[in-house]
Amino acid sequence: MESQYHQFGQADNSSVRGEYKITSQSDRKMAAFGRITQALLRSSLTQSRRQLSASSGGHGALAEKWRMLSFVVALPGVAVCLLNMYLRQQQHHGHERPEFIAYSHLRLRSKPFPWGDGNKTLFHNPHVNALPDGYEDVDE
Amino acid sequence: MAHHSHPYHMVDPSPWPLTGAIAALLMTSGLAVWFHFHSTSLMLLGTILLTLTVIQWWRDIVREGTFQGHHTPPVQKGLRYGMILFITSEVLFFLGFFWAFYHSSLAPTPELGGNWPPAGITPLDPFEVPLLNTAVLLASGVTVTWAHHAIMEGKRKQAIHALALTILLGAYFTFLQAMEYNEAPFTIADGVYGCTFFVATGFHGLHVLIGSTFLAICLARQISHHFTSEHHFGFEAAAWYWHFVDVVWLFLYISIYWWGS
Repeated sequence: MESQYHQFGQADNSSVRGEYKITSQSDRKMAAFGRITQALLRSSLTQSRRQLSASSGGHGALAEKWRMLSFVVALPGVAVCLLNMYLRQQQHHGHERPEFIAYSHLRLRSKPFPWGDGNKTLFHNPHVNALPDGYEDVDE
Repeated sequence: MAHHSHPYHMVDPSPWPLTGAIAALLMTSGLAVWFHFHSTSLMLLGTILLTLTVIQWWRDIVREGTFQGHHTPPVQKGLRYGMILFITSEVLFFLGFFWAFYHSSLAPTPELGGNWPPAGITPLDPFEVPLLNTAVLLASGVTVTWAHHAIMEGKRKQAIHALALTILLGAYFTFLQAMEYNEAPFTIADGVYGCTFFVATGFHGLHVLIGSTFLAICLARQISHHFTSEHHFGFEAAAWYWHFVDVVWLFLYISIYWWGS
C-alpha cells in the first residue's frame, strides 16, 4: 500500500496540491474522504493489473515473453557463437605469427610509455607483439 | 521537510559538485604529472576523490528520491530529460572516434601501403570472438528488458534473476575483450589502425564497465526493495545506458571489426 504514495512523497499529497494551510474540521473530513476514495481506486487498479499479469500469454505478460526470449533465443544464440568460435579456432591453430618486417608506419615510439622500460604497450604480449626491432623471443 | 506549493525539488546544499570538480582537476593534472615526472600520486588522489564523490552524490539522490519522496512526476520528467541529454552527448563523443576511423580508412595513405588494413597488420577475425561478443551484448539487452517488465509486473524474484544475468553477460563481454586485448597481434602504437581500434574499443570498454556498475547498483537496490512497479527510474536510466553501450558496440563491430578487416 505504501508504494502508491511513493511518487508523491508525503502520504497526504498536500505538498503537491499546496494544501498546507490550517484547515477546518469539515475541510479535513472532505480531504480524508477524497484520499480514501483515491486509495481505493488505486488499490482496485492494482488488483486488476495483478490479475492481468498473472495470466500467461495474455495482456500484461510481457515479462514472460522476454523471459522466454532470453532462454530460448538470446542465451542459445550465445552458445551457438561459442561453438562456432571454438570450431574456427580449431581449424587454424596451425599457422602462428607473421614474420617480422620493420615497417616504418608500425610500432611507433614518438615518446616512451610512462611505465616499465617505456617500450612496451599496456597489453604487450611478447609472443605476438614485436618491439620496434623485432620479436623478443627470437627462437620461434 | 520543507512545505512548498510546487512539485519541484529544491535540493539541499551539497559539497559533491565541488569535490567532483576538484577530483577532475587532480585527475587531469595528475595525468600530465605522470607523463612528465613519473609520479602517480596526484592522479591517484584525484581518482580516490572522484570515487568518494560519485558514491556520496548518488547515495544522496537515492535518499532524496526513494526515502524522502522528492521525486514527484515532474521531477522524474526532468531526470529523464537529463539522462537522455547525457546519453546524446556520449553518442557525439563516440561519433568523433568513428569519424577518425573513417577518415583514415576510407582513403588509406601511401605511408600505410595504400591499403586498409595497412600493410603488416593482421586484423582480428570478425567471426570469432567479436561475433561472440556481439551475441553476448545482444543477449544482455534481452535480459535487461526481461528485468524491466518483471519490475513493472511486481515479479521481484524474476527481476533479480534477470538483472543478475544481465550483469553476468556484461562481465563475460569484459572478460572476452580483455583476452582479445592480450592476444591481439597489433598494438595501440601500430599507426592509425592500432590507434583508432584501441581508442574506440577502449572507450567502449570503459562504458561497459560503467554500465555494468550502474546495473549492479540497481540490483542491490532491487534486492533492498527500493523500486516499485510504478517508480523505478534509476533502473530505467541504467537500462537506457546499457542499450546505448550495446548499440555503440554494434557500430564498432560493423565498422571496425567487419568492414575494416
